Amino acid sequence: MALENLAFLIPVLPALAFVITFFFGKNMKSGGAIVPILAIAASFVISLMITLGLLANPEEVVTQSVSWFAMLNLGVLIDPLAAVMLCMVTFVSLLIHIYAVGYMSHDPAKSRYFAETALFTAAMLSLILSDNILQLFVSWELVGLCSYLLIGFWFTKPSAAAAAKKAFLTTRIGDVMFLTGIIVLTSDLLKIAGGIPEGVYLLRFNEIFSYIPELSAMQANIFGTEVSHLTIITLLFFGGAVGKSGQFPLHVWLPDAMEGPTTVSALIHAATMVTAGVYLVARTFPMFLAAPDSLMVVAYVGGFTALFAATMGIVMNDIKRVLAFSTISQLGYMMLGLGLGATIGMEAVGVSLFHLVNHAFFKALLFLCAGSVIHAVGTHDMRELGGVAKVMPITAVTMTAAALALSGMGIPGTSIGTSGFFSKDAIIENAYLLGEHSGNWLPYVFSILAALLTSVYIFRLIFMTFTGKPRSNYGGHESPSSMTIPLAILAGFALVFGGLTQTGFMSFLEETFSNNFVNVDIGSLAALGGYELVHATGHEPLFILWLPLIVALAGLGISFVLYYMRAVDLGGIASEKNPIYKLLYRRYYQHELFTEFFSIGIVYGVIAFLAQVVDVIIDSIVESISIVTVAAGEALKRVQTGVVQTYATVMIAGVSLLIILVKLIMEVL
Amino acid sequence: MIPLSFYLGLSALLFSIGLFGVMTHKSGIRLIMCIELMLNSANLNLVAFSSYTDTLNGQVFALFSIALAAAEAAIGFAIFMAIYRMHDKINLDELNLLRW
Amino acid sequence: MLPVASLLILVPLIFAAVTFLTKTKDQAATLAFAGSLATLGLTLYAYLNFDSSTAVMQFFESMEWIPFLGIKYSVGIDGISMPLIILNAIVTPLLVLYSYSEDREAPNRFYALILAMQAAVIGVFVSLDFFMFYIFWELTLIPLFFMVNIWGGEKRKHASYKFFIYTHVASLVMLLGIFGISFACLQQTGVLSFDIRELITQFQFIESGGLKDAIFLALLFGFLAKIPSFPFHSWLPDAYSEAPTAGSVLFVLLKIGGYGLFRIMLPMLPNTGSPDLIIMVMGLLGGVSVLYGALLALRQKDLKRMIAYSSVSHMGYVTLGAAGLVTMSVSGAMFQQFSHGLIMSIMFMSAGVIHRNTGTRIINELGGLASKMPKLTVIMMVGFMASLGLPGLTGFIAEFLVLTFTFGELPGFVVIALLAIVITAGYHLWAMQRAMFGVYNEKLGPVADLDFPQTLAMALIALLVLYFGLNPSPVLDMMITNSNAIVGLAAAAGV
Repeated sequence: MALENLAFLIPVLPALAFVITFFFGKNMKSGGAIVPILAIAASFVISLMITLGLLANPEEVVTQSVSWFAMLNLGVLIDPLAAVMLCMVTFVSLLIHIYAVGYMSHDPAKSRYFAETALFTAAMLSLILSDNILQLFVSWELVGLCSYLLIGFWFTKPSAAAAAKKAFLTTRIGDVMFLTGIIVLTSDLLKIAGGIPEGVYLLRFNEIFSYIPELSAMQANIFGTEVSHLTIITLLFFGGAVGKSGQFPLHVWLPDAMEGPTTVSALIHAATMVTAGVYLVARTFPMFLAAPDSLMVVAYVGGFTALFAATMGIVMNDIKRVLAFSTISQLGYMMLGLGLGATIGMEAVGVSLFHLVNHAFFKALLFLCAGSVIHAVGTHDMRELGGVAKVMPITAVTMTAAALALSGMGIPGTSIGTSGFFSKDAIIENAYLLGEHSGNWLPYVFSILAALLTSVYIFRLIFMTFTGKPRSNYGGHESPSSMTIPLAILAGFALVFGGLTQTGFMSFLEETFSNNFVNVDIGSLAALGGYELVHATGHEPLFILWLPLIVALAGLGISFVLYYMRAVDLGGIASEKNPIYKLLYRRYYQHELFTEFFSIGIVYGVIAFLAQVVDVIIDSIVESISIVTVAAGEALKRVQTGVVQTYATVMIAGVSLLIILVKLIMEVL
Repeated sequence: MIPLSFYLGLSALLFSIGLFGVMTHKSGIRLIMCIELMLNSANLNLVAFSSYTDTLNGQVFALFSIALAAAEAAIGFAIFMAIYRMHDKINLDELNLLRW
Repeated sequence: MLPVASLLILVPLIFAAVTFLTKTKDQAATLAFAGSLATLGLTLYAYLNFDSSTAVMQFFESMEWIPFLGIKYSVGIDGISMPLIILNAIVTPLLVLYSYSEDREAPNRFYALILAMQAAVIGVFVSLDFFMFYIFWELTLIPLFFMVNIWGGEKRKHASYKFFIYTHVASLVMLLGIFGISFACLQQTGVLSFDIRELITQFQFIESGGLKDAIFLALLFGFLAKIPSFPFHSWLPDAYSEAPTAGSVLFVLLKIGGYGLFRIMLPMLPNTGSPDLIIMVMGLLGGVSVLYGALLALRQKDLKRMIAYSSVSHMGYVTLGAAGLVTMSVSGAMFQQFSHGLIMSIMFMSAGVIHRNTGTRIINELGGLASKMPKLTVIMMVGFMASLGLPGLTGFIAEFLVLTFTFGELPGFVVIALLAIVITAGYHLWAMQRAMFGVYNEKLGPVADLDFPQTLAMALIALLVLYFGLNPSPVLDMMITNSNAIVGLAAAAGV
């Protein structure tokens, strides 16, 4: 079909838009915003058409491939997983771009902004439709570069420059793990295949997946325990995902990433960048399936992150920072969802991706609403806001819709509910299944507690911002329609998308790995990992089904009492004197621990310093050789007096000595 | 006939006196005179050998040597005259401008 | 068919001589530019007529030179030397262009030295006789010495002597190695020869393993000091940072150390007395260089010294990849040489512009330059990102190939190098953040952005970094062909 042949255009068009806008945008109207908008719209149309085609026939995936260099290739693979992501990214990115026309209208460097966001989108799209792990890594790094450029967009602000650097470096730690994973994988594949095979692109996903049994059989001895190579590789991949998707302990860059324009935050948190980590795990899911230990790690890290980030979310006063911790927490849910593959197998991808897509809608909406408030009011600090609903009714309504979606309001057992309800509850319920089948109850406990806190912090944000009386003198007005229309569209999706697609979505995604290209046998992979899969959900006790809603409502109630009615005076609790509050507000002293102690103290202060000492020693050896040589010359030149008489005397003495010696030797002989 | 060793002995004596002078004296004039002494001791050897072997080679060499000695003395004394005009004395130990 | 290999030496040499006779800067620069363009044209001709599917020597010329010593004039180009010649031929005209914005004393000598350097370096690459090889090898010292000594920074005297003596001593050890292999082969075959390829072939017939090791290590020392690899690098930070910008770039183009590894060391390696030990040592030095250079770069306060140490770090990949001794790792190491030449050129040019326009290179004294120098910032960003190994740019391809394919052979040393990746990103971004971003440091006064020749020169190199990062095949293919031949030798010897 002709349309499928255009698949490669999906990332290429925004990339071209980047070039055009970067070089010529300055002379165009509103910074050349129209170019990336058109390009992304075209990508969206192509993605949507391909997705519709796939929906009709999920087995016939789109593949294209060209040789890159050596045994590596560049290619396109659009299966249900990629198709869903493509549609989501292009759609959300498109709305954010349209919104940004209004939001960035006063910024003198807006052509640079649009160029960089176009490149950001292009990199993310290329990441999604990669058919091989290396291209995925290349795009992965480009996404990192764009986030660096965009977080540091206002580079004259020192805090922005520092945040950009921190984001790049923190994710780089994950990237190195990912790269190490690719390196181990490649070298193992070369060993298995006995060299570079002719005519086969070794790093394509179908090739990699076909070698899973052999990889799983390779054992390595690490600190006395036998570990399968597959476990090592998947854990390293997950390390990359931890960096990119802001999981504990590499989440520290995400809250600081707020230094960029709010639209950039929306892009990073909803459509691009942070979802890349989740996508990586989903993309390589067959490998994880055969390595259950890795899946358990994924589940635990995800669950812990969900709770950990939520605890910090409830004390932040910066409106964007609350949302940042919310993102980390929600990404934790997605990771947890993937980790559940240990019990529910391939369904985990569907569950997790469902939450990812829903989250993209409501999180983009939350950020754009926050941006709308900031744009109009001029402050990030919720303590200075209050009563904004009166000034900005549309923003208030749409943001409340997003909050309902985030907290997961809906009625179990029916198809009434917000998007977040369907996806988050699915994760929590399956976490219960995990506990039931393997005895690992902690992820479930984490997820329930996090659901409570989620509801608390998001309604705290809503009440503090939109209700009550203004707590400072802010002017303000409703945003222009180019900003509110995207809000309204996103609000619609946040409310109904989940309900509409609930069943179709997950079954569509389950087809991902059973198509004509990859075609993995899930059952045998699970057998390789040595565990059984369960398929049934919905047979849990009624209490379990209702519990998420109960905690969400409880959270809403707590916020209502504390921040709407203001029934309790929080002055005493929310102060630096309260050690728990201080611990949370200081974000568990991560900055002090990671940045100041580890990076600056250990790496810069000790290790690099020692290297410098070694360098000085080596250099001193070289220099001292030259000093000794020169000193020896200085000493020896005294012998050359320049007085002929001395030379003559020494010569005579020498000759005389020689004669005597010769004479003596002659006599001895 | 006087044996050859007498000439050689005289020559060695003259040479040693000259050598001793070259090694010890500080004055340039004396130095050159001592060098002349050593040259002449060599000449004496040449002439002596020439006479004993009945060839003229040695005597010719001696003539060359005397001519060279004259040239050398002329240049040497000229240099020392110039030095004397600058320093009012010819002390070799003090002529160390180009040393090191 | 033109005798390209000889012309590639002769043309820059003649232009260098003519440039030396000019009086004004304009004449000198124009002539130098014309000369380097002529070389570029020749290189293009050579590239178009080059067959990258074969590892045989192409454009081969050979004749007797000093017959009674067995010395021949023989030159040729193959996949090991071609990419490096291309690198040199591309960057030199751009370097001339870049230098045009700077006024300095004795421009005729300055430009003549650039061309002389080009002739000498290309001479090393095309020589197939140890005698010629050594002559050109030593000839490269002279232009660099004067470059640093005349136009360098404050400590230029010390830096130039240190560089000259250090690398010269290393070259002498190498010369001993050359004599060693030549005389050992004389004893075997009864014919005195300095032909590089013949001697390498004869090397395996030397009986004494100890002698073979001694010869190999003497040559290896000469090359490692030139690369330079830890712990023989201490001439580099001084020389690179004291040199004028053009000098630093010429240093960067001086890829003869790594070239020696591929041309001479690797084919000999399998026949040494204890190849496994030597491979371990090379791998260790490579891996440690990567980490060590990165750690030291992190500690530097001077932008140019930082770049100099990052150069040590990058060249570690060359040694590491060579030690990997499989086709793709060796190709990756060769590609790293090519890529490093391009990337470091941009970085040193950027540092040069910053130093010239603001008067300082101390990173903490700069700040906020991005708002005053947008063009520089964009180009410098490309250079820095390529240097920290961002995919899509040349640095990544080289590092990926080296790390991935060496991992199967020497996993431990690859892990050492991997540790450096985050640190590498760290010092690049730290320098970027301090120097270019943040609030503009008003103490610097008004600063100008790049002028036209500088922009053109640097942007072209940046484009090449991007081009070869996206499509490495034009140079990588011939590297792979030749690495295959080299590794084939090793496999035949059972290493």
